[in-house]
Amino acid sequence: MSAPVQVTPEAPMLEAAGVSIQFGGLKALTDFNLTIRQGDLQGLIGPNGAGKSTAFNALTGVYRPTRGDVRVAGQRVNGWMPHRINHLGLARTFQNIRLFRALSVLDNVKVACRAETLSHQEHWLPASLFIAALRGVGGVGGEKGARGGQRLGEQLIEQAGALVLQGWWRSLFLTPGFQAEEQRITERADALLEVMGLSHRRNEEARNLPYGEQRRLEIARALGTQPKVLLLDEPAAGMNTREKADLMVLIRKLRDQFSLGVLVIEHDMKLVMGICERITVLDHGEMIARGAPDEVRNDRKVIEAYLGDSYLESHGGAA
Amino acid sequence: MTTARSATTVPEAGAVVPAGLKGLLPVLLALPVLGLLEWLLRASPFATYLLSVMGVNIILAVSLNIVNGMTGQFSIGHAGFMAVGAYLAGFVSLMLKGVAISFLPEALSDQVFFLLALLVGGLSAALCGFLVGLPSLRLRGDYLAIVTLGFGEIIRVVVQNTDAFGRALGLSGIPQTSGVGMVYFGVFLVVLVARRIAGSSHGRSLWAIREDEVAAEAMGVDTTGYKVRSFVISSFFAGIAGGLFAHFVPIINPGSFTFVKSMEIVVMVVLGGLGSTTGAILAAIFLTLLPEGLRSLFTSLGAEGSLAQKVDQIRMPVYGLLLVALMLSRPQGLFGTKEIWDVLPKWWARRKKGTS
Amino acid sequence: MAQLLQHLINGLAAGTIYALVALGYTMVYGVLKLINFAHGDVMMVGVYMGYATAIGLGRQAQSSLWGVALIFAAAMLGCALLGFFIERFAYRPLREKPRLTALITAIGISFALSYGFQLDLGFKLPLPGGYELSLALPGASPRAFPEIIRPTEWLIIGDRDVVIWNWQVISFLIALGLMLVLQYLVYRTRFGRAMRAVSWDHRVAALMGIPTDRVIALTFMLSSALAAGAGLLYAIKDTSVSPLMGLYVGLKAFVAAVIGGIGNVPGAVVGGLVLGLVEEFVVGYAASTWRDAVAFGFLILVLLVKPGGLFGRVAAEKV
Repeated sequence: MSAPVQVTPEAPMLEAAGVSIQFGGLKALTDFNLTIRQGDLQGLIGPNGAGKSTAFNALTGVYRPTRGDVRVAGQRVNGWMPHRINHLGLARTFQNIRLFRALSVLDNVKVACRAETLSHQEHWLPASLFIAALRGVGGVGGEKGARGGQRLGEQLIEQAGALVLQGWWRSLFLTPGFQAEEQRITERADALLEVMGLSHRRNEEARNLPYGEQRRLEIARALGTQPKVLLLDEPAAGMNTREKADLMVLIRKLRDQFSLGVLVIEHDMKLVMGICERITVLDHGEMIARGAPDEVRNDRKVIEAYLGDSYLESHGGAA
Repeated sequence: MTTARSATTVPEAGAVVPAGLKGLLPVLLALPVLGLLEWLLRASPFATYLLSVMGVNIILAVSLNIVNGMTGQFSIGHAGFMAVGAYLAGFVSLMLKGVAISFLPEALSDQVFFLLALLVGGLSAALCGFLVGLPSLRLRGDYLAIVTLGFGEIIRVVVQNTDAFGRALGLSGIPQTSGVGMVYFGVFLVVLVARRIAGSSHGRSLWAIREDEVAAEAMGVDTTGYKVRSFVISSFFAGIAGGLFAHFVPIINPGSFTFVKSMEIVVMVVLGGLGSTTGAILAAIFLTLLPEGLRSLFTSLGAEGSLAQKVDQIRMPVYGLLLVALMLSRPQGLFGTKEIWDVLPKWWARRKKGTS
Repeated sequence: MAQLLQHLINGLAAGTIYALVALGYTMVYGVLKLINFAHGDVMMVGVYMGYATAIGLGRQAQSSLWGVALIFAAAMLGCALLGFFIERFAYRPLREKPRLTALITAIGISFALSYGFQLDLGFKLPLPGGYELSLALPGASPRAFPEIIRPTEWLIIGDRDVVIWNWQVISFLIALGLMLVLQYLVYRTRFGRAMRAVSWDHRVAALMGIPTDRVIALTFMLSSALAAGAGLLYAIKDTSVSPLMGLYVGLKAFVAAVIGGIGNVPGAVVGGLVLGLVEEFVVGYAASTWRDAVAFGFLILVLLVKPGGLFGRVAAEKV
């Protein structure tokens, strides 16, 4: 298990260095660089198919980078399973909303709140000693990538350790500690629903929520994992002007309240230009510009990418 | 607009009970009840047998529901794990036949060994569950169906090639130490475990996997790990069910644990509603009693004996058609993912409104 | 050496049959992303149709060239029809439902067919002119399949060290012929192009004016007809037919499809051949009683080492 790395506010929480993703012959992302620190509010834009979501997937572990490194909280996470990357403090929402549709709004958030519980157990001394002892018996040493490479014996040991020690027995015996913890999780989830203005929907099934509220629930759920960096994939898609305005205020508020670094993918230029301090522009998988909103807005390459060469020719250059 | 089930609806002792006792209270309450039940039924072997079969089916259905319903994976080889439990528990009991603990009364000593055998059966089944689940649960859901089915076949072949398991003849002479009390203690345990998992962060993680695996993984749920663990727990109880079964039927052979048995359990779970523990229980009771009922009906009607015998034959294609009909008309089964106490009050209210 | 050659020949003969059935799984999986669990049982029904035709033709006619052709035609056409009905009434209504629903339906159909055929039910329908039409389910016990190809030894090497039977060669040639026809259909015809388009994305294909429903129905009919042909070859090899043969042959063929990488047409062929050979060698050199366990042991092994099959890739889910 990964030891939490002490990070100063200046240290990058999320860092991509030269990340490339290739599907067969298709280069979906080339040499992508990005650094996000606590308190950052950055944007990632580009025309459709520019590789924005691919970049998100590379950062969160859904895709494994073909080249380059992704670091979260100082740890190199190439090839890690997404859940382990999430445990380091990286959470995301999805472009096409992926809620747990049949679960209640509250349970959606509680699923995510579980991570806190888990980390407690991981640092529970007897548990780690037991797993270490089993490892010793099995003669398996060293940390390997969770994807693929693990040997059967190691898997067996981890699973056995998890089954016995990661609190399954506590839920079976309803220990007082377990009951208190469930209480805490519920309270924390309720607090997040309050922040996102969803308390009145608490017990409804997630699939019955209107679109805008589903988007907000996705954010609440992501916050449940107690992230240090939050990745929002088109959070305003399908919202009306009013909802978008509210969302802009909300994103800023969340950043400050939860001391987050935030990276937003968005098509709505007004929203991105309005809240992001720094914007990265992708086109055909390559970064073509980066900078403050005004710099990006006037960048020739960006205008070209969005409007095509012909626009520039007929209008005689930028701005 | 429907109100979703809240995870905290495990109906158990209220606030009067101290928190420390809450976990064990149901067990303390159940034991004397089961003892009484056993004592009441001591003189009626048929009722004992029927109730035992029903209990074993309930254990199988509820445990399969943990994988198929709560986690949303689809295993169709539950009888294989049942076989592992039955054979190993039976084997242990045969080995220990004639051994007794000197300072205990004979009946009690028997029960101690029976428990030991059950535990061996359950744990071996759990180990098999792990070995089968690990490669297949990393892949997409439908592979699991095939692999579990194949696993059942492998078990059959292994048993038929092993002298210690009596090859095709099976094991006979296993001490008949099981009783209604023990079977329903198993039922009680599996239901308790299923409901308590449902009321914990583990249960929510399983549901999350059922709803959307990618999202669950992104929210920090170790999806592979949870799938394997739910599979292991489910297999453990299938093994227990097998162990119990082996101790009240005169003989166990590979024929008792075929694909047909697996399908029977799948039908129970699907009929009750994938994800509903109470649904699985009701469906298990219904599908155990239905063939029995039809058989006695035909016999009492004086129909020629063949018709009563045909019940068993007809049962299987009917299960198949039942599955198809269910999927086409009511894919969520009886209760969907909800429990009876979520569904009945609403149904009752609607009914009242309809009549007034 | 001679023994090795003999096993090789037997393995290839069995392997081509598995390959034919495996092609059906792979094609249906390609267009619907559904494991058509009932495929093996459709095959079994086809074999019974062929059986009935053979009995109807009588001893003389059944082994003549046109008799054999008629038997194959009856079985394949009948099966195509059955495949059409199953698709139309059981799978099509569920196409937009969760995948599990269709999978359960397929399992249900498989079960209904394989155990329905074991009932001994039957009725007689008097026809005008003193004839009567009697229809009966075959009952549980296996029946001897008529020798529509009289077994003769075509090639004998040494002192009966290696024996090649005529039916092995004929079955190999028929299987090869059917595969070539399929290859032509899939890669050289309009229907094949439509099928591949549907397999890529059936919604987009529908928007492009491809009659998806018809393509899917035709795919089902084609795969069912192939299965019937393969089933007859299997029955000739085994000289018996039983209601449960669909389950066993079907499962093994499915394993073959997975080994080759499900959804991959050449993969299914290679997978079938590999499985046929492996089984034959286990029977030949180890113990014949373990034969039925081989396929699944092999399957688990392949899934452990190369989860996508020999030729397939584990498709990354689009996020």
